[in-house]
Amino acid sequence: MDLCVSLRGLLITVLLFLFHSETMSLPFEKMTSKKQAYRIWDIYQKTFYLRNNQLVAGYLQGPNTNLEEKIDMVSIEPHSVLLGIHDGSLCLACVKSGDTVQLQLEAVNITDLDKDRNESKRFTFIKSENGSTCSFESAACPGWFLCTQADPDRPVSLSNTQTEAIITKFYFQKE
Amino acid sequence: MQNHRFLDTGPQLSVSRLQKLFGFFFFFYALAVSVSASSIQPKKNTVENCQYLGKYFKKFRVEAEPVVLKSPFPKLGNRVLFSLHYNLSWHKNDSEKTVLGTHRSGRTRTKDNALWILPATPEDSGTYICTFRNESYCATMSVELKVFKKSEASLQSLSYQQVLITSGAGYLVCPDIDDFIQDKNDMEIKWYKDAVLLDQSNKTFSILKGSVYCHINNVSLDSSGYYTCELPFVYEGVKYNITRHINPRIIKKKEETMPVIIGSNKTVLTSLGSKLIIPCKAFFGLGSRPTALLRWTANNTFLHHVYKEGRVKEGQLHEYSENNRIYMEMSLIFNSVEKKDLNTEFICTAQNRLGYQTLQVRVKEEPTFSWGIAVAPLSLIFLVFVGIWMHIRWKQKPGKVYTTTKSKIIARDCQSSTPYRKEMI
Repeated sequence: MDLCVSLRGLLITVLLFLFHSETMSLPFEKMTSKKQAYRIWDIYQKTFYLRNNQLVAGYLQGPNTNLEEKIDMVSIEPHSVLLGIHDGSLCLACVKSGDTVQLQLEAVNITDLDKDRNESKRFTFIKSENGSTCSFESAACPGWFLCTQADPDRPVSLSNTQTEAIITKFYFQKE
Repeated sequence: MQNHRFLDTGPQLSVSRLQKLFGFFFFFYALAVSVSASSIQPKKNTVENCQYLGKYFKKFRVEAEPVVLKSPFPKLGNRVLFSLHYNLSWHKNDSEKTVLGTHRSGRTRTKDNALWILPATPEDSGTYICTFRNESYCATMSVELKVFKKSEASLQSLSYQQVLITSGAGYLVCPDIDDFIQDKNDMEIKWYKDAVLLDQSNKTFSILKGSVYCHINNVSLDSSGYYTCELPFVYEGVKYNITRHINPRIIKKKEETMPVIIGSNKTVLTSLGSKLIIPCKAFFGLGSRPTALLRWTANNTFLHHVYKEGRVKEGQLHEYSENNRIYMEMSLIFNSVEKKDLNTEFICTAQNRLGYQTLQVRVKEEPTFSWGIAVAPLSLIFLVFVGIWMHIRWKQKPGKVYTTTKSKIIARDCQSSTPYRKEMI
């Protein structure tokens, strides 16, 4: 009887040993998209909205709060992100023209950008956190940060200088 | 856009050939006239053929307060600055369509392209058209204004949206008051919470002279409510109060903990050429994690740098919550395992603001001639034989045989003598 028990135990051990890799790598369920919506506001409490297809930061009042644009973000590397609006159908891009750079909204799907990372450089931002706020530096235009202006209702743009009138710190909260 | 549409309008083709021919000549005649006209004298624009750039959102104000409607043109910023000869005018979209701000006697003024109404009355509610015009360009935009009667003012419409995060200091900003700040250093804004004045005696708030902020020392759910900021403004000897209302949204700060990877370092056995999926799951604390991150690296390098062709890649990030506990899962996917993977160190890293944890995975080749398979039955047979042999040996031991025989004999002789039998055994 003792022999039988010990043999059974041995058999189980041998089987576990043989099929070890199968137990480690079970087929995985299909996973959801990485795109997530975030609420963004600058340290002066200004939110983003669209005016003439241009992203603007200002104070929204009463029913206008419905115009607030949320940012759709896809993380492609630990600190590199893609930013878009309108469910990721309009993406923020840094476009160089001469000595200056411009923030552009381009009609591309944020999830398609993730597939071709060489093409997506101008859409890539380096997200850095500092306490409760964060800033976004363009990967294609190093030194240029996503910014708003101290005055309300001015376009969201990119800046390589730090002055009081330029705000590069944002609160960024998941919806 | 409208200008283009204007040029695109061609002659209407009729059924008759003659009419067609007439139309054809007329088109060329019109084209020639328009070309010569535009080359000789600058285009005379009227509001009708101005490019309409759209509607700007509604402003909500209260009667008896000065109202400023700023030029709503966003992209003309540089154009306005660099073009010296331009004209910006305002008119209300009513039956009279009179240009506003030209007479100093009325309640309206234009200052730095903005339209001032001093003070506003409920009758000023409506749509205002701002027209930008220079020699070559003309554009219009509309702005809507709603001026409430004091007795009918809707706090919901008047309130600005701002956000406060719990457990820590926060602040509110008195919005859209820049035009009324006359001396920034001497400016004194009064703040009210639910109509109660916040003064120096209130330790929960701190309001500084010359600042547009209302600091809240420790934001809690009690911080919610309707806040009002009030700025005194003097114009031509008349004192006004500019008021703005804020209804902040209070966001609960999430409890963040160091990420914890579920499972420990491991070696995965696989055969070359086969598909392999290795999951990595981590616990990120309670609530939502905007800063959390889960990634796989190969020899401390990102996978897409090492495997540009995507043979080894990260699966989709899967985030879910179980009883408010946040978990993230991401698997490492090998389309086909190659020999070089056996010498690669794959690491899954779970990271957030507070720190990170790693899980090391090595891939080992599962032998094609498995010693396990060969040895297992042999060892089984061997063990069975050893068992049988030991059993036989044990049976044949002299001492053991004697004891057994004796006990049997005793048992036969005194079957009722249980204590003795027990003792013997």
